[in-house]
Amino acid sequence: MRTPRAAYPLTWRVMDGLERVAAALWPARFQRGLPYLMLLPAVVLVGLLVLGLVQIGDTSLRTLDTSTFLMSEDYTLANYRRVLTENFFATVAGRSLMGAVIVTAVTLLFAFPYAYVMVRTSSPALRKVLLVALFLPFFIGQVVRAYGWLIILGNQGMVNEALGLVGVSPMRLLYNYPAVLFGLVQYMLPFAVLMLAPALTAIPAELEAAAASLGAGWVKTFRHVVLPLSRPGLIGAGLVVVTLSLTDFAIPAILGGGTQDFIANAIYDQFFRTSDQGLGATLSLMLVAVGSILVGVVFLLFGAGTLAMAEARK
Amino acid sequence: MTDSLGKTVVLWLFVAAALITLSAPTIVVLGASFTAGNIITFPPDGLSLKWYGAIAQASDLRQAFVRSLIVATICTVIAIPVGTLAGIALAKYRVRFARSIQVYLLLPFTIPLIGSGIGMMLVFGEMGALGRLWPVGIACCVINLPFMIWAVTASASNLSPDLELAAANCGAPPLQRFLYITLPAVLPGVITGSLLMFILALNEFLVSLLLVDARSVTLPVQIYNSIRSIITPDLAAISVVFIACAGLAIALLDWLVGLDIFLKSK
Amino acid sequence: MSHDKFLSIPIRRRTLLASMAAAGASAGLSPLGAGRAFAQEPEKPAEIIVRAWGGSWVDSLKAGVSDSFTKATGIAVRHDLTEDNEIQPKVWAAVAQNRVPPIHVNWDTTTNATKSALRGVTEDLSDLPNLANTTDLAKPVGLDGYPIVNTYGYVYVLAYRPSAFPDGPPTSWKDLLDPKLKGRIALYNDGIGFHFPAQVAGGGSLDDIPGNMQPAWDFISQIKAQQPLLGEDPDFTTWFQKGEIDAACTISTNAREAKKNGIELAWVVPEEGAKFDTDGLWIPKGLPENELYWAKQYINHALTQEAQQVWLDGLGLPGVVPGLTPPADLVGDPSYPTKDEDFEHLIRISAKVQVENESQWFAKFKEIMQG
Repeated sequence: MRTPRAAYPLTWRVMDGLERVAAALWPARFQRGLPYLMLLPAVVLVGLLVLGLVQIGDTSLRTLDTSTFLMSEDYTLANYRRVLTENFFATVAGRSLMGAVIVTAVTLLFAFPYAYVMVRTSSPALRKVLLVALFLPFFIGQVVRAYGWLIILGNQGMVNEALGLVGVSPMRLLYNYPAVLFGLVQYMLPFAVLMLAPALTAIPAELEAAAASLGAGWVKTFRHVVLPLSRPGLIGAGLVVVTLSLTDFAIPAILGGGTQDFIANAIYDQFFRTSDQGLGATLSLMLVAVGSILVGVVFLLFGAGTLAMAEARK
Repeated sequence: MTDSLGKTVVLWLFVAAALITLSAPTIVVLGASFTAGNIITFPPDGLSLKWYGAIAQASDLRQAFVRSLIVATICTVIAIPVGTLAGIALAKYRVRFARSIQVYLLLPFTIPLIGSGIGMMLVFGEMGALGRLWPVGIACCVINLPFMIWAVTASASNLSPDLELAAANCGAPPLQRFLYITLPAVLPGVITGSLLMFILALNEFLVSLLLVDARSVTLPVQIYNSIRSIITPDLAAISVVFIACAGLAIALLDWLVGLDIFLKSK
Repeated sequence: MSHDKFLSIPIRRRTLLASMAAAGASAGLSPLGAGRAFAQEPEKPAEIIVRAWGGSWVDSLKAGVSDSFTKATGIAVRHDLTEDNEIQPKVWAAVAQNRVPPIHVNWDTTTNATKSALRGVTEDLSDLPNLANTTDLAKPVGLDGYPIVNTYGYVYVLAYRPSAFPDGPPTSWKDLLDPKLKGRIALYNDGIGFHFPAQVAGGGSLDDIPGNMQPAWDFISQIKAQQPLLGEDPDFTTWFQKGEIDAACTISTNAREAKKNGIELAWVVPEEGAKFDTDGLWIPKGLPENELYWAKQYINHALTQEAQQVWLDGLGLPGVVPGLTPPADLVGDPSYPTKDEDFEHLIRISAKVQVENESQWFAKFKEIMQG
């Protein structure tokens, strides 16, 4: 028979000690406050961004003195007035918003079949291939991918050469609005599929079989069964794609040829070319506001879909 | 039951288009890195490994790569405890103002990268911390935190609360419940999240651009600066090395957890 | 001033430095070598950081200035390839927050450098001995003293592909409005180098700058109909190489770079004129005293004839030191002005005017091009 001492292993003793420490630090009375304690580090970390926002807000209220290139000492709303009245900013804002909406629509259109095939296929090998094809480009930087497209779509690139074989003279496929939108779609595709897949997994395949046995063709099944049930996925994907496209910098810069500035490019110009940090800060704040309002409205109306980080009580 | 031909054809048309679009730049960069010439073209004119030789010799690229690894490590090491705790809290507990907290924690998504970058440049500047690598690590962690939290909640919401109740019933105190029941259950999410964080930090350039200087430049910034000045095939070679690293990371993730984790329902 | 401390011999500093320079130049020694003989130097840092543009620009700097500096002093030179406009807020923030700036020496456009000078973040460079040996071009116009030192000039030429101009080279900027060239021309994405010739091409006069630039905007609006590509230095080289464009308003160095890679290119200064501007070197405030001293030595070194010759041979640009020989392919070229007649067709507007109006011109150009 084992002695009592050996029956109480060291790990248990250590754990008992730790439990006592934990109980001393956070008594059971505070049990309800535990989640807030767990959220605290994340809140503090994101607080860094908030601090940065405050600094930006402060800068946005100052104007640039072009004889000393220092920001003014006193606060003024001149920057906000400029942003709201000058044509250029309206053009850029309109271009970015419309672009974001178009990109979201097209991306969802292509991401949905991809996610569907990936989830429904019975071959694990195919699923793995589709997943890898999705992730590999996801992890290469935007910049390098954009340069890859510059090579493919350029005047002497493969697409124009292929068209030349059919007798079509080289077309300017790059440095215009469609090129930027295309670049954004190919960049956002993995994000969208990532958000759609969990929602599609949650739809039992038997539902589609049931619909088919009741006489619905596959188009009808999609329209009336699959799409409505995948709403959380569509919302999550839509949110991610819309915010990321609205605020994208590299693709409009590289694929746009300098004539397709989005808001982030305009912000960059103000900070780095005209050294007008006040105007740049103002644009940043307005972009944050637009983005947050968009996200907030969608959250309120539809919930967060698959982007949700809190569990809906079952 | 088999799908109708029409459905298969239509679906596969979309999938094929997506596959081509996703893989084309990768293949082009891969091919261009083997060129024997001096310009990036595809198909490459002549095949040679000279550009890989060039990057192996470039000590500044090597140092930049090491710094990128350090930054990614700092980012992941901070993200794991912070993101795990936050993810578990949101998924398992009833939190007041849950929606507002979610919107708040999604701030790194809604604030444009350039805004975050400049904001943090100002904040770290005031602290006098610029020029070192740890602010860059923290910045990468902050801007990608939603991914970590998202990955953890995906796992945590699959954990049935009954398991913890059962453990309590058997006499397990709270800390042990957490360490022996909750943590192992969310481990797949944690692993997924940390690999995501690592790779995203390794590739982060816009925010790093604002926070580094010549003594602390990371690889994406070095590549970006080089691309901005002259585009030579050694950049394609470096990108291929990156692709290889990403491939390794994905293989690792698959071996540890299985890539299917991304398909788990929410 | 930091230099007062290291001279233990009470001789007037300026005469001492001037005689050192004379002795050094005549004896063929570098001023650094002669100086070391009888003055105690501050401690050498392990390296100094010089911001430079990448590609052939940094390669030329290395070959001409950095490598010989390292050989003479033993201090390594690290080149920071951050873009000039991206380093600027970092330097300004560092000075505003009393931190050590991220670089020792900034190789910058004179316009950008003027902004920094006006803001007061540049160190005064008037005491560099080699300044005595430079032409007027080295002195920044409109600023007191030498907060920056100009190191060479360049021309924003009309670069073109001869095969696209079978009837002979273009003679006027208005030739860019030829419908054949739609989508095949390129400009800098902030319009730099184009505003002033556009003013003339649009029917206005240079005296109206900056008061009335409407002729320039009118001409630029006409150019907009040609759907020009907008980019930066490396883009021009790439676009010429890849056959995307046939003509551009760009610095001759970029066209020369594409030429070196086998592309058939030429350039002209059209009848309306072309903008001439300068680049320079400056040192941000806030460096420790010994590093400041050696940073100044670096700039001093860049002003020697040998350094300028090799550096500028790589760039194909005229320097600020007398006695430089142009590269073989650029003798008599309009992009390499040396004599007064060469400057007749070139437009030079003071940096101060440019700096004051830059954001308006930038906004107007963007509005036209993106609207």
